[in-house]
Amino acid sequence: MNWVETVWIGMCAASLALGAIHLFVWFKQKTGYAHLLFFALAVSATAFGAFELAMMRSLSPASYATALRWAHVPLALFVLSIVWFVYFHFGAGKLWLALAACGLRLAGLALNFVTGVNVNFREVSSMDPVTFWGGAVVSGPVGVANPWAIVPQMGNLLLVAFVVDAAVTLWRRGGADARRRAAVVGGSLVVCIAAVAGFAALITLGLVHGLTIVMPGVFIVVVAMGYELGWDMIMAAQLATQLRASEQRFRAVVEAVPSAILVVDEQGLITLANQQAEAMFGYPRAELIGQAMDRLIPERFQRPVADRPSPWMAGPQGEAVGTGPDLLARRKDGREFPVEAMLAPLQTGTGAFVLASVLDITERRRLEQATARQRDELAHLSRVAMLGELSGSLAHELNQPLTAILSNAQAAQRFMALSPPRIDKLPEILVDIVKADHRAGSVIQRLRAMLRKEEPTRQAVDLNALVEDSMRLLRSDLLGRHVRAQPDLEAGLPPVVGDRNQLQQVLLNLVLNACDAMDGQATDRRLTVRTRQSDQGRVEVSVSDHGPGIPEADLDRLFDPFVTTKAQGLGLGLTICRSIVQAHGGRLWATHHAPRGATLHCELPAGRVG
Amino acid sequence: MDAWAPRVYLVDDDPDVRKAIGRLLESAGLEVASFASAQQFLDGYDRSAPACLVLDLAMPGLNGLELQAALEREASPLPIIFLTGRGDIATSVQAMKHGAADFLTKPVDDAALLAAVHDALATSRSRHRAGQERADLAQRLAALTGRERQVLEGIAAGRLNKQIAAALGTSEKTIKFHRGNLMRKMGARVAADLVKLAERAGLGSTPAP
Repeated sequence: MNWVETVWIGMCAASLALGAIHLFVWFKQKTGYAHLLFFALAVSATAFGAFELAMMRSLSPASYATALRWAHVPLALFVLSIVWFVYFHFGAGKLWLALAACGLRLAGLALNFVTGVNVNFREVSSMDPVTFWGGAVVSGPVGVANPWAIVPQMGNLLLVAFVVDAAVTLWRRGGADARRRAAVVGGSLVVCIAAVAGFAALITLGLVHGLTIVMPGVFIVVVAMGYELGWDMIMAAQLATQLRASEQRFRAVVEAVPSAILVVDEQGLITLANQQAEAMFGYPRAELIGQAMDRLIPERFQRPVADRPSPWMAGPQGEAVGTGPDLLARRKDGREFPVEAMLAPLQTGTGAFVLASVLDITERRRLEQATARQRDELAHLSRVAMLGELSGSLAHELNQPLTAILSNAQAAQRFMALSPPRIDKLPEILVDIVKADHRAGSVIQRLRAMLRKEEPTRQAVDLNALVEDSMRLLRSDLLGRHVRAQPDLEAGLPPVVGDRNQLQQVLLNLVLNACDAMDGQATDRRLTVRTRQSDQGRVEVSVSDHGPGIPEADLDRLFDPFVTTKAQGLGLGLTICRSIVQAHGGRLWATHHAPRGATLHCELPAGRVG
Repeated sequence: MDAWAPRVYLVDDDPDVRKAIGRLLESAGLEVASFASAQQFLDGYDRSAPACLVLDLAMPGLNGLELQAALEREASPLPIIFLTGRGDIATSVQAMKHGAADFLTKPVDDAALLAAVHDALATSRSRHRAGQERADLAQRLAALTGRERQVLEGIAAGRLNKQIAAALGTSEKTIKFHRGNLMRKMGARVAADLVKLAERAGLGSTPAP
């Protein structure tokens, strides 16, 4: 065996091995038809190599011709494999070119069996030993060329045209990957096919005397294609590694976030849970996975599965659910706790999932309640302090009905002492005494309500009535301070929901502040208390004075604690007012109006209880 | 006693209190006219009759002190009894300085109020009577001739007829004649009455020229 034979056998073996590998890959994946095509390519290359080896070892023209005739069978299969590999695997190339190239190749194959001794030779007359470099001797044919050889030659030309066109398309498609493929596959194919086919044509036409050597070219194509497919497999492996790394990162992130993360499938079963979820719900992870999400929700909040069309499954955006005070979750031990949850749809190749991020807000709730309690206590203290300021006014309000009662009673005594006694006067006097007594009682009741320290209530409050009542309470104080108060109340105002005492405290505070603002001036002490229905279901009550006004810079600083312009006073009044108003879902702000005067606006949402 | 019914004006903006105090005053047999504001009172009260005013201090619009000042400007002789919810010293001093008859705090006892009202009415009556006498005297004085007036001045100065005659450059007999006319015109029975009237009219205070 000389070295040429050894090399041919090596190339055949290598092609077969590459083909076997890809057959195995195809078998594993089933979807990789490219691997199957490559297998066909490699096997046909192997078979072709074997026939070519036989040709080179032929001692008679007849055996040479027969070997060449049969070599065309794997060659045709090889060409077909190339065409469809390029066409399908790269998604490039023109279909008509592919069909034409294949058609001519198959026509050539048919002519191979019906004309001459094969499609290359009409007849092979003798064998002519050719001595290779290194002393290896192989047989070369001497004969007459078959004119039908033009058909497979044209097929080769179309094949080159098809591959060049596909390579150009690939190259144009941009991308480093596409260009690499275009260069490797297109380049190798074109060079090899052109060289081999050209050389073969030259020999067949008798222009060159020598040997047709095709197998190295075929082998290079096999190697190039194998490299190409192998590259894909390397890329896939890299991708898998990246995917694993990315999934590890995802896991790390999921574990690191402070909220419990649960991924739920369309059946409502938990498919992923992080350690915060374990800690929050008290289940070990193994128990959480595969269990129904419903187990984490108190029964009374669960809805039958049929009632859950899950619109958020299809929604493009995450959605916060139950940020209100009403969303509760349940631990394994049955204890319920308030949560805030965010749901986000996850569309994956294996189905739709929902990612739920759950935050335990027990502590926040507790802090909110503590803050509210402190605010209410502070509001109460401030209210008591304000009633101290108003004690003169209140005493006067109480004094009036007491005066009426005393004078009525003494008038009755005198009417009875007359002779004859004026009994006819008594009924109306008694009616008036009862009326005055009720009046005194209501003053005391109001006083007690404001002094009482109790949980704020939520009731419908008519702001107009509140203003009128407050002005009555302040009447004597306003008179004593020579302040003229003008109510400007809009009829038919919707009620607001809240604590009447706290809202009255705000109003009294605003009116007293307005009076204080005008203390320094001898005349024009007047203030307006206005109620209005503002847009979007909000109600505004505002107090305007005709004092010096508030500098622009102080308009907001006014509400900071311990900011005061008064000799006595902590400067907490407006701070507390604002916190009360905010707790009612409203706003409290100040405006200045040129040339004199300031207005404090209190806007509250209108609403009904329940 | 006088024929006029004692009238009490009551000004208080609080209807309950106004009604009750008005009723108390009526139970003591007084005629009461009530007003809800100082302005209503100024527009409606009878300036010719003796009366007194029971006035609430703290009222919207014109308050008690401002009403007092308004009455002072029109030289009203009306005695004022102030009623107040809070006994504020500065205010009461101001009220008293401007001639308030009394300053009572609410709730007010009937005895205190009625005593104050009766005192005030008495004051009003005497002020009224004095005013009328003054007017009467002025009327009589106006009816005297110039000579009679000179003679009256001489009498008021305590001079004898002879001295007056000498001073006026006439006879003593003529002075006696004037003197008889004076007694009749001034409504005096004896000479001493004439002297008293002359003094009351302020004639005897300055020595005759």
